Amino acid sequence: MSEMRILDKAKLAEFIGKLGADFEVIVPRRENGNLVFGSLDHTQPVVEFTGKPLVPPKEYFFPQREELLTFTVKGKEIKVEAHLDKVKRVIWGIRPCDLAGIKTLDTIFLSNYTDNYYQARRENTILMGLNCNEPCSSGFCSPLGTGPFAKDSFDLLFTDLGNRFLIETGSEAGRELVASSADLFAEARDADKAKLKELEEKCKRAFESSLPSTVDLATVSNKLSGAWGDALWTEESETCILCGGCNFICPTCHCFNIEDVPAEQQGVSTRVRYWDSCQLGGFTQMAAENTRRTQAERLRQRVFHKLVYIPDKYNGAVGCTGCGRCIEVCPGEISITNILGRVMRK
Amino acid sequence: MRKILTTCEFCGCGCNFYLGVEDDKVVAVYPCASHPISQGKLCIKGWMGHEYIHSTERLKTPLIKEGDKFREATWDEAYQLIADRLQQIKERYGSDSIAVSTSAKCTNEENYLLQKLARAAIGTNNVDHCARLCHASTVIGLSQTFGSGAMTNSIPEIGSADVIFVIGSNTTEQHPLVADQIVKGVKGGARLIVADPRQIQLTKLAALHLSHRPGTDVALINGMLNVIIAEDLVDREFVSSRTEGFEELKEVVAGYTPRKAAEITGVPAEKIIEAARIYAGGKKGTIIYAMGITQHTTGVDNVMSCANLAMLTGNMGRESTGVNPLRGQNNVQGACDMGTLPNVFPGYQAVTNTELRQKFEKAWGVKLPSQPGVTVTGAINKMIAGEIKALYIMGENPMISDPDMSHTEKALKNLGFMVVQDIFLTETARLADVVLPGVSFAEKDGTFTSTERKVQRVRKAIEPLGSSRPDWKIITELSSHLGYKMDYPSPREVMDEIAKLTPSYGGISYDRLERGGLCWPCPSPDHPGTPYLHKEKFARPGGKGRFSAVPYRPPAELPDDEYPFTLTTGRTGFHWHTGTMTRKDWALDREYPKGYVEINPQDAANTGIRNGAMVKVASRRGEISMQANVVDTIQEGLVFIPFHFAEAAANKLTAANLDPVAKIPEYKVCAVKLERG
Amino acid sequence: MTENIYAPHLVTIKQARDEAEGVKTFKLAFNDAAVGEAFTYRPGQFGEVTIFGVGEAPISITSSPVSKGYLELAVAGVGKVTRALHLKQQGDVIGFRGPYGNGFPFDEVKGNDILFVAGGIGLAPLRSLVNQMFAERDKFGKISILYGARYPALLCFRDDIDRWAGLENSEVLLTVDTAPDNGWEGNIGVVGSLLPKTRIDLENTVAFVCGPPIMIHFVIMDLLKMGFGEDRIITTMERRMECGLGKCGHCNIGEKYVCLDGPVFSYQHLKELGESIELHTLGK
Repeated sequence: MSEMRILDKAKLAEFIGKLGADFEVIVPRRENGNLVFGSLDHTQPVVEFTGKPLVPPKEYFFPQREELLTFTVKGKEIKVEAHLDKVKRVIWGIRPCDLAGIKTLDTIFLSNYTDNYYQARRENTILMGLNCNEPCSSGFCSPLGTGPFAKDSFDLLFTDLGNRFLIETGSEAGRELVASSADLFAEARDADKAKLKELEEKCKRAFESSLPSTVDLATVSNKLSGAWGDALWTEESETCILCGGCNFICPTCHCFNIEDVPAEQQGVSTRVRYWDSCQLGGFTQMAAENTRRTQAERLRQRVFHKLVYIPDKYNGAVGCTGCGRCIEVCPGEISITNILGRVMRK
Repeated sequence: MRKILTTCEFCGCGCNFYLGVEDDKVVAVYPCASHPISQGKLCIKGWMGHEYIHSTERLKTPLIKEGDKFREATWDEAYQLIADRLQQIKERYGSDSIAVSTSAKCTNEENYLLQKLARAAIGTNNVDHCARLCHASTVIGLSQTFGSGAMTNSIPEIGSADVIFVIGSNTTEQHPLVADQIVKGVKGGARLIVADPRQIQLTKLAALHLSHRPGTDVALINGMLNVIIAEDLVDREFVSSRTEGFEELKEVVAGYTPRKAAEITGVPAEKIIEAARIYAGGKKGTIIYAMGITQHTTGVDNVMSCANLAMLTGNMGRESTGVNPLRGQNNVQGACDMGTLPNVFPGYQAVTNTELRQKFEKAWGVKLPSQPGVTVTGAINKMIAGEIKALYIMGENPMISDPDMSHTEKALKNLGFMVVQDIFLTETARLADVVLPGVSFAEKDGTFTSTERKVQRVRKAIEPLGSSRPDWKIITELSSHLGYKMDYPSPREVMDEIAKLTPSYGGISYDRLERGGLCWPCPSPDHPGTPYLHKEKFARPGGKGRFSAVPYRPPAELPDDEYPFTLTTGRTGFHWHTGTMTRKDWALDREYPKGYVEINPQDAANTGIRNGAMVKVASRRGEISMQANVVDTIQEGLVFIPFHFAEAAANKLTAANLDPVAKIPEYKVCAVKLERG
Repeated sequence: MTENIYAPHLVTIKQARDEAEGVKTFKLAFNDAAVGEAFTYRPGQFGEVTIFGVGEAPISITSSPVSKGYLELAVAGVGKVTRALHLKQQGDVIGFRGPYGNGFPFDEVKGNDILFVAGGIGLAPLRSLVNQMFAERDKFGKISILYGARYPALLCFRDDIDRWAGLENSEVLLTVDTAPDNGWEGNIGVVGSLLPKTRIDLENTVAFVCGPPIMIHFVIMDLLKMGFGEDRIITTMERRMECGLGKCGHCNIGEKYVCLDGPVFSYQHLKELGESIELHTLGK
């Protein structure tokens, strides 16, 4: 049962700062005008609560470059050592699109074979979400049901009510955190709960007027399946420069490559995992052939993987959270909302 | 994780991004949305191209050649050896028997210091760098026509042009963030004309693709000029008030009717006419060009033709217009600005100009050589003739990047003494007597100047690997060993010195650069920088732009019965130049692990070459083998080979045929034959 | 090192032999006896082999679970890792993690005649199943093995082939694409050309096809023309793999991962996957 509390905006920095005693505290920070997640500067604790961070927090569970194992070979003696990160972290200010992204990554990394590395980071991290009071410039979470307000996958969820935050607990860990700083919180009154509903409705209505067409997961999935062989994939991929950006900044993208990298010392090598991208030609390259040779097929793969395959494979799990970052990061001006719009109109 | 904002080490777009550092290792990249060029976007090299930094093949100690093997040495030992040998050679053969090749990959500060070392410590103007191989035509061509040899407008303006003419630039692969502007422009209604013997990715967005024969650019543009004049599409006001030389141009161009131009270029006359009408019909027309027109024996003429086109239609001195050479390397613009050219000091101040030279003599406290030195392409011949005895190379791999490899190899092997300062043991470094380990862009502070003349900060993110040292430090330490003391606390102070001596950089300082990049000219501390040039008048003395009446001259080596194909060389978006950095990166290597040759399907059928099969390509200078890529995006009679792959080095085939003024090699045209296997 | 899904177990090469031109067969045993004891697999599964300092590659298991105490892999040296593996010798230690993949249907096809159609090194995963079936001979009807390669030096597992040919109610037909200079007395033609040379009871036969993609394609077309049901044609899919356990995304086709839901698929399944069948229908 979710509990609700009120936190004065002025006390946010104090609440977050206190957590520094037990956790590494990650918050959205502004660097040269860019909003990115980073460690809270405890000497000057500033917490940003407007805007969508450029890169989702997935790298705290699935880093861009992660050393998995070190192999030390001395003749027939071979040692294999693992490097698990078990640092206790709290991440504040995760937008609903990114919370939904983490939920999907949980499904992918923790099902079938449990990924030890993801699991170690995930079970040592507390998630504090932040609802969105207005649509961001390229987001389309609302029709996909992944925003603008979060439903689950958080330990604590914050909503900006003006001069105060409404906090909802989503787990035992969240409840404990609230309890340990009980003096900072006040009871949430009926007026606060009403304001919460009002803000959500207002934001949803704002989305309806800003999106070019309505997209909902069930219909878009079917419509896409019907557009499998369509010329639109060739047309839309014409300007793709194979940068991989759309995958790197996507909250649900999880593809990676594994390389065994030699170290300086003789006989030592490290098994490293790197972010990879299905938009690159080499992603499906085998010795004899490449099973996805055109950019049209690769673009189609990205859209289908998110909006058809992941929901199919994982029982309705969300493959695209509508954060819109792939639109912002593309030097070829390719837009997934344009593509979906075209597909919906067929 | 620390995040350090820095400027990209690859192309001339000058994107910024954050390097993520943990335990003194670069482990991540974050985009910078607030950057005006990058806008939070990067190409694959920006996102994933930095693995080479931590490669185990990085040079970590100085190396001295003994017999035919290298042994590790201390810095002092290496410096002393270099100083001794250079002194000996200087005493016996004179300062001009020594040449210095600087690096378009290194910072402005490093380039400034190395030309200062050459001029002040050694006493020679034999300073040059790889701009000789790429945009020497631009520096000379645009200096002569406009008075300034640089991109006239800025990158963000391109998206607001209404006509974009791309000639000799595979922009998507070589300058991805410039291509982004072109895409934006086209999506906003701009009309794109692409002139390229190959179909490039931008062709798909073009209103018109002119597939002209390699080397016929002057004829193509003269044809367009002819139509513009004949159909009275000239901007008469602009021509009369801001230019000179129109009558001579008109006379020469009269001979290039669409039919004549079609005959020479292979482009149908109607397309030439349409191209002229589209370009002249725009209110804001911008020309974008790169190696496709500069790397020719007529490189300077090609560039001046572009200038003619812009001036004839008044597309100069306003936003979203101009003539825009896309400088390839991250700092080739800066290397030129810093005077690493044989005939000018920093800021393009002529070495022969007594007053200017005296300014530098006073600042540097030493008498300076007054005669222009030799170019890198000229130096190769002098090495073979034995006139140049010693060569100092920083951050360049001429064995793979210079034309006619066997000629280059002969030249380098004939030297009495060679030093290479680099981060990897390149094919060139293997031939050196001493190798000094420099550092990557992530291990030092400095500045790069992008193609749009924007000076930006490069920020140190990690410590130099092993015993390697920042290149600027190496140069100052070596200079002191040569008897010319150089002592700077940091690159910041070097830039302060640059600003004092270089009018266009006069207002540049590290403090100002903290707030963002500055486009030169930026002559004073309160000057905001100059996005586009030639607003009211041209930089030439007298203020007028000069038309150049240039006739078409064919390339130096055309196909014949023995070598019936034309070879053109170039790059891809996934590897960088000689592949020294990018071939060590799994993501980039996976895209193109091997060399290849692009062949037209008809040519493939005629020669019995199948897609994916091995092909031998031979020219009068050498032979290489690689896989065939049979594609219909290339003209019949033409083959394309990227020069990234040392084991299938395109430059084994190319010829050192040079533009007579710019001395730039004709990489884009030579004659080859093909054979199966 | 237990239960770390990316960590290989150490295995020693007990034997390395030349199997065919460009192909070597390695017999491996786990260094940790307990791991070896506990290790079970099904025909059609594969493992990720580590060459320390070089990398990993997915390689199908060619031994059959009836052979206890060791694992056999047959490998063509075509990439960075497999070429490094080819340089390894008896006594060398490498890494192995697995088994991965779904394996061939076994119980589900009992009571049927079995038709194996293999090309080149494609016989390797099928060999595991063939030997497993011969170990439970009474559960299956006629077993036919049709096997071909481009030329004789590429034919693998000659000893097994000879042994199978001599077993009751089984037949082995061999072919090569091109006639060599000396001593090939057998059939000449692609492996599909062997199909008319064997009697097949269509309603009660299940076909297993494995080899180069183009061979699989043509053989499946032949089988369909003959009247085989789509669910009675079983084959293996090949895709670039990295993790081998359904996370890295490289082998994703539709909502399946070749390493988790495959590499064994029936033709009926393949048709549903869209991408696998009509490769390269978009653009060029």
